[in-house]
Parts: sequence; structure tokens; C-alpha cells
Amino acid sequence: MKAFLGRFRQEAVLLVLLAAFVAVAWRLDPTFLTPKVQGTLVKLVLELAVIALPVTLIVITGGIDLSVGASMSLAAVAFGLAAERGTPWPLAAVCALVAGALAGMLNGWIVSRARIHPLIVTLATMSAYFGLAEGISRARPISGFDPAFQSLVAGPLMFFVLALAAAGAALWLSRTVKGQAVFAIGLNEKAARFSAIDVDKIKFWLYTLAGTAAAVAAVSYAARRNTVKADIGHGMELDVVTAIVLGGTSITGGRGTIGGSLLGILIVHEVRQFVSWHWERDEINLIVIGGLLILALVANSAFGKKTDSA
Amino acid sequence: MAALTPGSTGLRRALVPLGYPCPVPSDLLLEVQGLSKAYDGVHALEGVGLQIRPGEVHGLVGENGAGKSTLIKILAGNVVPDSGSVGMAGAGLNLGSVQASLDAGISVIYQELVAFLDLDAVENVFVGREIRRFGIILDRARMRERTSQVFQRLGVGVPLNVPLCDLSVAQRQLVAIARALETECRLLVMDEPTASLSNREVEVLLATVERLKTEGVSVLYVSHRLDEIVRICDSVTVLRDGRVVETMPASSVTRERLIVSMVGRQIAAQSQSAANAPGTVVLEVRGLGRDGAFEDVSFSVRAGEIVGLGGLVGAGRTEVARAIFGLDRIDSGQVLVGGRDVTNRGVLAAVASGVALVPEDRQHEGLVLPLSVKDNLLMAARERLARRGWIQRRAERTKGDELSTRLMVKAASLDVPVRSLSGGNQQKVVIGKWLAMAPRALIMDEPTRGVDVGAKEEVHSLVTRLAAEGAAVLLVSSDLPELLELSDRILVMCEGRVSGELARGEASEEALMALAVHREERAVS
Repeated sequence: MKAFLGRFRQEAVLLVLLAAFVAVAWRLDPTFLTPKVQGTLVKLVLELAVIALPVTLIVITGGIDLSVGASMSLAAVAFGLAAERGTPWPLAAVCALVAGALAGMLNGWIVSRARIHPLIVTLATMSAYFGLAEGISRARPISGFDPAFQSLVAGPLMFFVLALAAAGAALWLSRTVKGQAVFAIGLNEKAARFSAIDVDKIKFWLYTLAGTAAAVAAVSYAARRNTVKADIGHGMELDVVTAIVLGGTSITGGRGTIGGSLLGILIVHEVRQFVSWHWERDEINLIVIGGLLILALVANSAFGKKTDSA
Repeated sequence: MAALTPGSTGLRRALVPLGYPCPVPSDLLLEVQGLSKAYDGVHALEGVGLQIRPGEVHGLVGENGAGKSTLIKILAGNVVPDSGSVGMAGAGLNLGSVQASLDAGISVIYQELVAFLDLDAVENVFVGREIRRFGIILDRARMRERTSQVFQRLGVGVPLNVPLCDLSVAQRQLVAIARALETECRLLVMDEPTASLSNREVEVLLATVERLKTEGVSVLYVSHRLDEIVRICDSVTVLRDGRVVETMPASSVTRERLIVSMVGRQIAAQSQSAANAPGTVVLEVRGLGRDGAFEDVSFSVRAGEIVGLGGLVGAGRTEVARAIFGLDRIDSGQVLVGGRDVTNRGVLAAVASGVALVPEDRQHEGLVLPLSVKDNLLMAARERLARRGWIQRRAERTKGDELSTRLMVKAASLDVPVRSLSGGNQQKVVIGKWLAMAPRALIMDEPTRGVDVGAKEEVHSLVTRLAAEGAAVLLVSSDLPELLELSDRILVMCEGRVSGELARGEASEEALMALAVHREERAVS
């Protein structure tokens, strides 16, 4: 039991935090917790979570991907443009996935080849991908997709995709040679290279995966909202990074769990939704999420120090 | 500076004449008592005491990892000791403050000189303490005059208006000494000052040290070069494993006595591994070159053979090792492993062909410190134990146990972080990482640096055993006794080239050093 708690300490703390938040929210506004409200809101969390999975792995390697929101926009626009031209929706979805994967590959290629810090690389590509998405769609919304697509993808399918992906990522991270290498890279990349770990290859594929996951989120979004626009991914990276850090993943790499990130996503999402539900003010959200990120970083560094000295 | 009259500059400290007699009745300048410092539970220093009189040249010797550099860093104020005190001229020194050490008159000249290479000698001497006229305008003429005065007192000539990058290492060192004297230094700590100097330059430096002595400046002279120690020191302190073994007056000091004291035993006669008949060529490099690092390096290592790679720091040995291992780009030449060309194919290809590298920097390149002993031991071999990429826990556990037993790793368990192990045991883990791969060619870069004597022995016998089992070993080491003891033959590098090869019979510290500095000397004459 003690070992179990030790291993899932971060998750336990997050659960308590989530419970505390729900209690406060319930006191402030009991309507927020009704199944109906939660049901409609929970769909967005699936998209955030799907993106957070590969980004968690990237952060564990000591990297970061700020361009996931932009990749999502790019993929969504790719889907929209294809569908608009009468492409059957499965093919349009493939277009979106290819666009997302390519966006991720470019990130991965620059990061692993040119060995430039991913923060800068993905900051640059974030701007570029947003611009590209806006350019090819001429910044207009594209709507009206196949109803069959909407009912299938917007239904429970996305939930199963996420469950499968999360389980896969968690298993991969803890039980495979490459998964364990991710931690080694984050803790000491030099030593990992000296140990014949293929650092560049692992990084390349993780960034590619992040772009692809952003595309999956984009397709889900298109099905749910029946419309896409070049700015739908705006601010996604902030939510994702906040959730990951909140979930106990060290921003400098080497430590982190999939479960933590999922709980982090849930908290970020609930907080965000509650703020806009209760106060109906989106600008407060930006401040709240920013504050949450800082808090998570501070808590994390204190927590990290404690485990280091132990 | 002795010619300075009060009020000639605005610098308060410049008013104290050089070699100012001790203001306290004690005849000691420096008194170190009970100094201890541990890193991650490993003692770097344990109850060290040291006494230096004014105008004394005090030698400090010890093997790598004996604690010399920790002691120096404490004196410089860069490292805070766990316990102990340092008295300077009778007053207690505020430990852990660089400024306090400087104010007390302690200057340290590190082996890797800290200097501004784009500035000239005058600017380097006065940087941060420039003499100003009316508080703003730099008084370059005065600074120049004072610098040349210092050089005159030292009896050396150094061009004043040439940027340091165009001066030799020896000249830069003299600039550093001049700067120290300008700061009213009363104790000059010199860390391996002659490590990269030619024979002639060494003479100049030693003469300078003699000169400092007559000026009343004390010198703590840290060196591996025992002949120099014997020649210029008034007394010598020997450190071993963080403790003071003994302090002897110069009159009783001989080279042999120092070695025995440093090592703690008579050095065993070097014979055992010569019996191996070397097998086929495993590792061969042909005309290897990397721009700015080394050129035209050719040699081969046979199965069962230990080939030493000697030379001064910066001669290009580590760079050659890295290039063979596929870490750095090779600009010309070839690397062949078992006849297969792996030039510029990267680390993965090198490892796949059977090359392993135990890197110089154990903590940064060799290990992932927060990870467990087991994770580190298996870091390279994991893929081989896995099934389609999935980790086989039982197989890993067995292999980890086998390796740690074979290497005699002293750890509470295989699951403790490798950080908690002592330096010697950490090094065994780095070696163990490659044993799991059964390497054909093992390159070891400074395998016993910072390792205590006991573990050093174990590493040595391990290397010998691996060679006996058929591995081709390339041993890079600055530890001359180690190189001489283990190597079947020794290649010496100097300024990026192989300057010579010594067979076991003809190898000696002197022959090695002669080859290591050989080309530099020729360039001077």
C-alpha cells in the first residue's frame, strides 16, 4: 500500500485537488455539475487529452511542442478543404492525419538534426503552421460535413480512441526499451547518446506522433462542431503544457506519467469550463490558466527537490 | 609595485607593499585545520591540515582524486567545506567567498587558465581593477608601466600589446602571475602550472617561482611532476584519498619517497600481461583526421592487446576516442573494426560492430545519475535482452546481478540511484554497461580518474582480464604509472598527431613525456 501510494503520489494529490475543486464549484454553482453540462463539456477534454499524450512523452525527453495547436488548425483546415471538394470523409480524415504528421515530422527533423532547442523550433513552426492554415483556408470557416461522419466520430468513438491510446502510451513508456530510453534522454541526453540509444530517432518519431495526435483532435473537433477554422487550435498548447506540468511531469525532463497528464487535463479543463460557465468571461480564463501553470511549476520544483534529496 | 608611493593610485590595497610581513606573531601565512568535504557521501577531503610559511614554496602532490583540486577550490572560495578552518596571516578566512579569499591575498592560477584571450597582457592584468584618471578615464600609461614593472621583477619579457590568443600558454601563465602580484597576492596557488609547457618554458616558470619566493610571496605548488616538486619546493604535503599522508621538508624528499607516499605501496613490477600473444587486428584506424583536433592518426589494436594512448591534456586523445566511437565527424581517414569500415557511421553502427567507449566524464557522459544501478548497467544492452522491444524484467534482473557480481559493484541494491555510489563503483557501472555487450574493442578514456586506490586496482585487473579474454583495449590515460603498468605498448600523441610509439620494454615516464612535448620543443628552437 505504501509502495503503491509512493508510486502514485502525484496522481493521489491530483485526485484530491480535483475533488476539492468540484466541491468548491458545487458550492458556487450547483448547475455546473449536472450530467447534462458535464456531458457536453467533456467532449473537448478528449481532444486535449489525445494531444497531451505524445506531448507528455516529448516533455519527458526534455523537449516541448508548442506547435500542437497550430498543427491541429492545419489538419482541421486540410480536412475542411478536402471535404469541401467532395472528398469522402474517411479520405478527408486521412488528409488531415497526413498534414498533422508532416507538421510533426518537420518539427522532429529540425529538433533532431539541427539540434536546436525545441522551444524555439516549435515556437517558430507554431507561427508558421497557423499562418499556413489561415492562408490556405483564407481564414474563413468551412462547415457542413457528412452527417454520418458527425454521428460516428463525435460519438463514443473518440473516447475509445483516447482510452486505447492512453493505455498504449502508458504501457510503452514503462515496459519497452524505447519507453525507458525516453526517461534516460530527459535525465541526461549526453549519456544516452554515449550508451548507443538512438536519441535522434526517438525524438523524431515523438514529434511526428504529436503532430498526428493534433490531427486526430482536429478530426474529432470537425465532427463535434460541424465546422472548422484556422484558429481552432489557438491556445491549445497552453492548456496542454499546463496540464502536463500539473500532472507532475518535470518541465526539464526525466520525470512524468501518462496518468498524471490525464488528470492534469481533467483539472485544467474543469477549471476552464467552470470559469466560463460561471462568470461567462473568457478573459478571466487566460489569467486563471496562466496562474495555474505557475502554481504547478512551483509545486513541481518543490516536489522534485524533495524526491531528489530522498 | 614596491616603488609605489602612497596616494599614487586610488586603489586602497595597492598601498600595502608586496611581501608585507605577517602582522601577527605567528610565523605562518596559511594555516588550514581539519578541512573536510564530501560529495554525495564520498569524502573528497577528510580532516586535512596544511601550514605554509611566508616566502615558502610548498608542494602538494597526490594521485588523481586525492583531493588536491577540492583543497584548491576551498582556498579560492569556490567550494564551501563541510568542516574545518583556514587561517590567513593569523586571521580566520571567511570560507566560501571568492572575494574574501582575494582580499586575504590568495590567488589561484588554475590549470585551465582563465583569461581574456582577446585582450592584451596589460588589460588582462588590470581587468576589473583598472586604474582611472579622475575616476573615469583609463590611465593606460600607468597600467602599462606597472605591468612592465611586474614583469621586470619577475625577470621575464612578455609582449604587452599583443592579444593573449597570440601568446604561448607559458606567456599567458606569466600574465596570470603578474595579475596575481598586482592584486597584492601573498599566497599564489598554482595548479599543474607546467602541464602543457615545453621543457624550456618550464625552466622559465620555475625561475619565476624562485623569484616570487625572494619577494616573500608563498606558493602552493600543485603538480604531478615530482622532479619539479623535489627541485623547487621547501616542503611537500602528500594527499591520498582525501587525507594528508605526511608533510616532509624538502631535504628529505626524493622522487621515490613521494611515489611510495602517494600510492601507499611499492609499485608492483610490471610484468604479468606481457605473456599474452596478441591475436588478429580488431580495431584499426588509418590516417584519421578531424579538422582542428587531430590529423593523420594511424594505429591498430589486436585482440588481447592493451594499447595505451598517452600525451598531454589537449593533445587530441579524447577526440580520437570520440571519433572512433562515432560521436564526432571524421574529416579524413578510416576506422575499421574487424575489417569492416565504420567511418562516420555514428555511435549505433560503432556499437553494433563491437566498439565500446568508457568516456572521460563519468558523471555527464557515462551515467544517468538519477536512474538506478540496474538501469545504468543495462542501458546499452537492454535491446538485446528485450523481446521485440518489450522489456523482459526477469532477464534484466539476472543480467544485472551477473554484471554487478562480476564487477564487484558495492551498492545497497541494484535499485538505488547510481548517484549514491562512490566514484569507483560508478566507474565499474560504466564499464559494466559495455560488458553486457561483450565488446570486441574497448576504448577507455581516463578510466580511473577520481577513483579511489582500491577501486583503481579493481579496474586495472578488470582491464587486464578483459584483454586476456580477447578484447582489444585502447587505454587513454594521463596517469603515467597506470599507462606504463597496463599497456602492452604506448602510442604518444602531441598536438593532434601520434609523435611516437613505445614498446613495453622501452616505456618510461621520461620517454613518454619527451614524446608528449617533443614537437612543441622543436617549434620553439
